[in-house]
Amino acid sequence: AGPPGTRQLREAEEAAPVFQYAGKAARRKDRVFVWGFSYSGALGIPSFVRPDAGWKKPRRIQPTPYRLETEEKISSAACGYGFTLLASNTRDITKVWGMGLNKDSQLGFQRSRRDQTKGYEYVLEPSPIPLPLEEPQRTRVLQVSCGRAHSLILTDSEGVFTMGNNSYGQCGRKVVEDEIYSGSHLIHQLKEFDSRVVQVVCGQDHSLFRTKKGSVYACGWGADGQTGLGHYNITSVPTKLHGDIAGVNIIQVSSYGDCCLAVSDEGDVFGWGNSEYLQLASVTETTQVNVPRHLPFKIGKVKEAACGGTGNIVLTEDGNVFVWGYGILGKGPNLIETGVPEMIPPSLFGCSDFSPDIRVAHVRCGLSQFAALTNRGELFVWGKNLRGCLGTGRMEDQYFPWRVTVPGEVVDVACGVDHMVSMVRSFT
Amino acid sequence: LNAAPGRAPRQQIRFLPAPAPGGGGAVELVPARVPVLADHPLVRGPRFRKLKIGAGHRLDVKASGVFVLGIGHGNKLLTDLYNCHLTKVYTVGGLFGKATDDFSDMGNLVEKTTFDHITREKLERILAVIQGTNHKALLMYSNIDMKTQEAYELAVKGLIRPMGKSPPIITAVRCLQFALPEFQLEIHCLHETQQYLRKMVHEIGLELKSSAVCTQVRRIRDGVFTVDDALPRTRWNLQSIQEAIQNCQLKVETELEKTLG
Repeated sequence: AGPPGTRQLREAEEAAPVFQYAGKAARRKDRVFVWGFSYSGALGIPSFVRPDAGWKKPRRIQPTPYRLETEEKISSAACGYGFTLLASNTRDITKVWGMGLNKDSQLGFQRSRRDQTKGYEYVLEPSPIPLPLEEPQRTRVLQVSCGRAHSLILTDSEGVFTMGNNSYGQCGRKVVEDEIYSGSHLIHQLKEFDSRVVQVVCGQDHSLFRTKKGSVYACGWGADGQTGLGHYNITSVPTKLHGDIAGVNIIQVSSYGDCCLAVSDEGDVFGWGNSEYLQLASVTETTQVNVPRHLPFKIGKVKEAACGGTGNIVLTEDGNVFVWGYGILGKGPNLIETGVPEMIPPSLFGCSDFSPDIRVAHVRCGLSQFAALTNRGELFVWGKNLRGCLGTGRMEDQYFPWRVTVPGEVVDVACGVDHMVSMVRSFT
Repeated sequence: LNAAPGRAPRQQIRFLPAPAPGGGGAVELVPARVPVLADHPLVRGPRFRKLKIGAGHRLDVKASGVFVLGIGHGNKLLTDLYNCHLTKVYTVGGLFGKATDDFSDMGNLVEKTTFDHITREKLERILAVIQGTNHKALLMYSNIDMKTQEAYELAVKGLIRPMGKSPPIITAVRCLQFALPEFQLEIHCLHETQQYLRKMVHEIGLELKSSAVCTQVRRIRDGVFTVDDALPRTRWNLQSIQEAIQNCQLKVETELEKTLG
């Protein structure tokens, strides 16, 4: 009966049903995103390696963030050299999942379904790692860390569990000659420290433990001085470090390759280990430093430090980011190496007159990549784009900080050699 | 315009016959300055019969705000200003709870949703993500090789901008007012259309698990011209137009020199 008049339109509008998509108590969801090289299984998505449908092709590289479905909220993640560990601080029996390379049992013993006596060498899906806990329903896993072929799991009341390759004593137990690590059930437990361990860090073939009292213990390979114990030999029992950090309350330790950095509560930076790439050139000309040395940088109070294979990055209290070392450092293609920290301009992280309160909150390092998280939850990456690990969607190296588009607010990120894992919270 | 005093008529020197001094009859040629008859207003006619007026960036029928026009020789400056690719600033008003087919509040209703779970914090998070992805698009469409040192220096200064054709890019968004169900945003953008901004309001509503329509789009700045330079309807007369042209001349010249060199 003719076109509807304004009054009829208004009445129809008021009578229309109202849909509710999110109630008042809608919570933000926690998700995990992965990207990088997938053939090792480190991304945890089996259909990339063994497609489950005939038309799908195996995906060698995932260039942009891809959602990984997990059963529990993941509170800590670590990327090793071709494998990943995810940990949740739940009280359930299953607290840690692992995926990727398992040739040295760095993911524990994963019983093969085809042959009950053998274990899997490549784990394509996040599989639970059985830990020999005394009170499995009370202990919580605080943090995990992965090195080249070994991994460390930190619990709140039962010390540190180590598994994987022990040819250099990096698992904290005596080196057994001709030990076969593949398919091994052995998970070693470390409890003898001066106080509770609050942070575990894996270097390439060594392990660092930071205790509540502020002291640092190390074990593993020491040919580059990365154990910091004053010699270049292997250590198979965690031993306390002295040198310039004796008596200093260390609040953070970091390592990924053969160089180590420690940050004290006063904002000083200490370093030891490999210095072939000018990482410790500010204190010494030698290429190896086997005792922790204080690095006299005049950049302000340091809040966080991260070590990569050839480059180092620190974050100061006022939110500035400094890089030094060798490689793509993030200040354009002209800056290849420097022994003195150089600041990355905050405007590259989105800070401008329009939004002046953007600050970098965390810094992380992979083997030749850097990642920075801002207080708004944005993730910036730069460095060598090895097999798509930067997550930018392109395969080229990135010479200055570039945003990674993640559908959510990035809470934490773990960088590996050729893949990265991020813990993200959805927006609404 | 035609009533204003025009150019003075050209003068010429002609030799006119004039009576010779002393003695009638003999005629002498005397030089005299006389106006050229061809320049006489009755011969020439009115000075302006048509005016060439060109328009700057488009403005919708449903939108309002600054609209740049060029008159006469100013049309050439219009093309130069277009090639400068300067950002435009809009205030966009939105309303939560409704979704329509043309994204504005005058369209046909598609859906109604609840919106009481929306907070200013959630909205600002979404705006931060929009800014982030558009910043990436800004760098990608500017067609500069990311591997060079000069790309790094421009990125540090924030001067990278697409200098050719590109899809709409938003350089900055900010929430000015937030009072459920209404909100107002300030958007700085490049190469956009007003319908794109309305679509963006709709998509913000979808991201927040609700729906939104756009109630108002107002351009408050177009390159160098702001609302203060613009003439409202009541001042559309010759005097104010001439004043406005003079005031903006310097600004336009400096901007063109800075960008196009």
